[in-house]
Amino acid sequence: MAVVSAGPRSGPAPGAHFFCTAGRGLEPFLMREVRERLAATQVEYISGKVFFTTCSDLNMLKQLKSAERLFLLIKKQLPFPVSSVSKGKIFNELQRLINDDPESWLNAISIWKNLLELDAKKEKLSHKNANPLKRKVGEDDITAKKLKTEQIQDIQETKECQLEKQIEEKILEQGNFITEGEKFQELQNDVTEAVDTRNQTNLTFRVSCRCSGAIAKTITAQEVGRVIGITLMKQFGWKADLRNPNLEIFIHLSDIYSVLGIPVFRVPLACRAYIKTAGLRSTIAWAMASLAEIKAGAVVLDPMCGLGTILLEAAKEWPDVYYVGADVSDSQLSGAYDNLRAAGLEDKIELLKVSVTELPLPSESIDIIISDIPFGKKFKLGKDIKRTLQEMERVLRVGGTIVLLLSEDHHKHLKGGEARSGPLNSLGGHTEEPGGEECLTPAEKAAVSELVPSSFTAGNQECLDGMPPLGSLVPVDCYRVSLGKTDALISKYKKAYSPGR
Amino acid sequence: MDFVFILKVLKSFPWSSHVRGVGPRGFPLRLQATEVRINPVEFNPDFIVRMIPKVEWAALLEAADTLHLIQVPKEPIQGYEHNEEFLRKMHHVLLEVEVLEGTLQCPESGRLFPISRGIPNMLLSDEETEILIYLKKKKKKKLS
Repeated sequence: MAVVSAGPRSGPAPGAHFFCTAGRGLEPFLMREVRERLAATQVEYISGKVFFTTCSDLNMLKQLKSAERLFLLIKKQLPFPVSSVSKGKIFNELQRLINDDPESWLNAISIWKNLLELDAKKEKLSHKNANPLKRKVGEDDITAKKLKTEQIQDIQETKECQLEKQIEEKILEQGNFITEGEKFQELQNDVTEAVDTRNQTNLTFRVSCRCSGAIAKTITAQEVGRVIGITLMKQFGWKADLRNPNLEIFIHLSDIYSVLGIPVFRVPLACRAYIKTAGLRSTIAWAMASLAEIKAGAVVLDPMCGLGTILLEAAKEWPDVYYVGADVSDSQLSGAYDNLRAAGLEDKIELLKVSVTELPLPSESIDIIISDIPFGKKFKLGKDIKRTLQEMERVLRVGGTIVLLLSEDHHKHLKGGEARSGPLNSLGGHTEEPGGEECLTPAEKAAVSELVPSSFTAGNQECLDGMPPLGSLVPVDCYRVSLGKTDALISKYKKAYSPGR
Repeated sequence: MDFVFILKVLKSFPWSSHVRGVGPRGFPLRLQATEVRINPVEFNPDFIVRMIPKVEWAALLEAADTLHLIQVPKEPIQGYEHNEEFLRKMHHVLLEVEVLEGTLQCPESGRLFPISRGIPNMLLSDEETEILIYLKKKKKKKLS
């Protein structure tokens, strides 16, 4: 992975605790990424979240590609005992989250302020020594400016952002409750008066809350938000502001952890500034490219490039590479062309209108192929998947890599027949993993979705099991990832020999 | 070298006979450009150095000629890795010149492939090809 250097690291020492949300199945990619890009330590995960400690500054943190959103961790603890069914007890526990441990809150706030101040200072610096010859300074400048605009975003944008977040969260955690504290607003008036006099820190805040698993049966997210909000006002004298607060507090209560954090950026990391129209989810596109072992000077082909999301993600991260995108659809190619121009990458990526089953390339001329194989009602590739792969195999050089995003059906086809299709479906998020150390409470029915899918510990192997080589293509890696409604498999192959000779 | 890699100039990849209507593999396609755009691109010598071995030089010379580009040396200069003047020239020819509209033609079969909005179309049906060849002949007659 190309680690982007962004000046000296001057984050808070000895390292702040963060966590990121991630699409299901992308956790192993995110863990690898925070280790490599941020030199993160204490990296651990639960389904949909990765926790880590790093000294990186905001510019470095902003580079994360496989995460959805980034949060500064206030605290993380074991869930409330599920047996205490009474609401009163849970309210009590919620208050104790703040009252028993105000230090971790104040600590987190000061780290958060430091991060923002450091960034603001850098902005000033880059203004002073604005050197037009040095591109990096310019980039810092842009990101700093972006942050500033983020901070003074008007209400409308905030709303948009919330909407985006809600959609995204729905994808990540289906069936959970999401509140942005609308009901909380009524309460705001009652309490603010009492708090005004003690308002020392001048902070305004908002609480976003999510409950899942057993606790969600007893208490609603609104109620949690209200209790936390009132307790915070009493304890620290902060002021509630739902529209444009300085600070957002994020709470997720589940059967695995109670997690509290502060979103670091308003816009999710997964919303790329350089992608005009996204096709495939950017995080998945990046994860696929990260598996492909792209080296400078390589020739990389996406023979079904669609809007070019994979190529854009790859070209941003690994720039000195020849990228070629092909598609049969004029509208997709035209969208891809607009995307390339908007991203300023038109000199790195070539587009070509051609069929994947008839590539105008000599055999063994391409180093790497990365592609999202279309599926669903619209695309009946069916048995053509084999022909498609044969053509890819032909143009790939020996030792070259193919990374594909395959649907279950395609995966089955390649595995050789539907006979063994049964168990594969059960491998997803619904398999209990008795050995999983993250499963701290006995699994309740509602908790099943929270359990760590087997697909990314031992599951990596399970997906691979029974995958026969496709001609000269040998399967090396397989990851199950969630696309929202369905799952898909990121499958990696290597070409082992030249079949013709 | 069976590699024809001339980005932005020929918009040309290592063509192979795999596609109907294209001659033997690696045959340089003839370029006709009706609209060319020059895009300034940041100079990255390392990138150009890596690119040069992948260029089919004969095709590049022909393309540079049809597009009336700056003089391209008959072959890569010895020690070009450290020759900035040469690398800058190549940078311009390879990366900054984009053919937006035009055609690519297979010299063997005469088959034409249009380039539109900078994207070559290798997916023509047979009828489309015939129409294009017909139009081309008509144009030639007019000219002569």
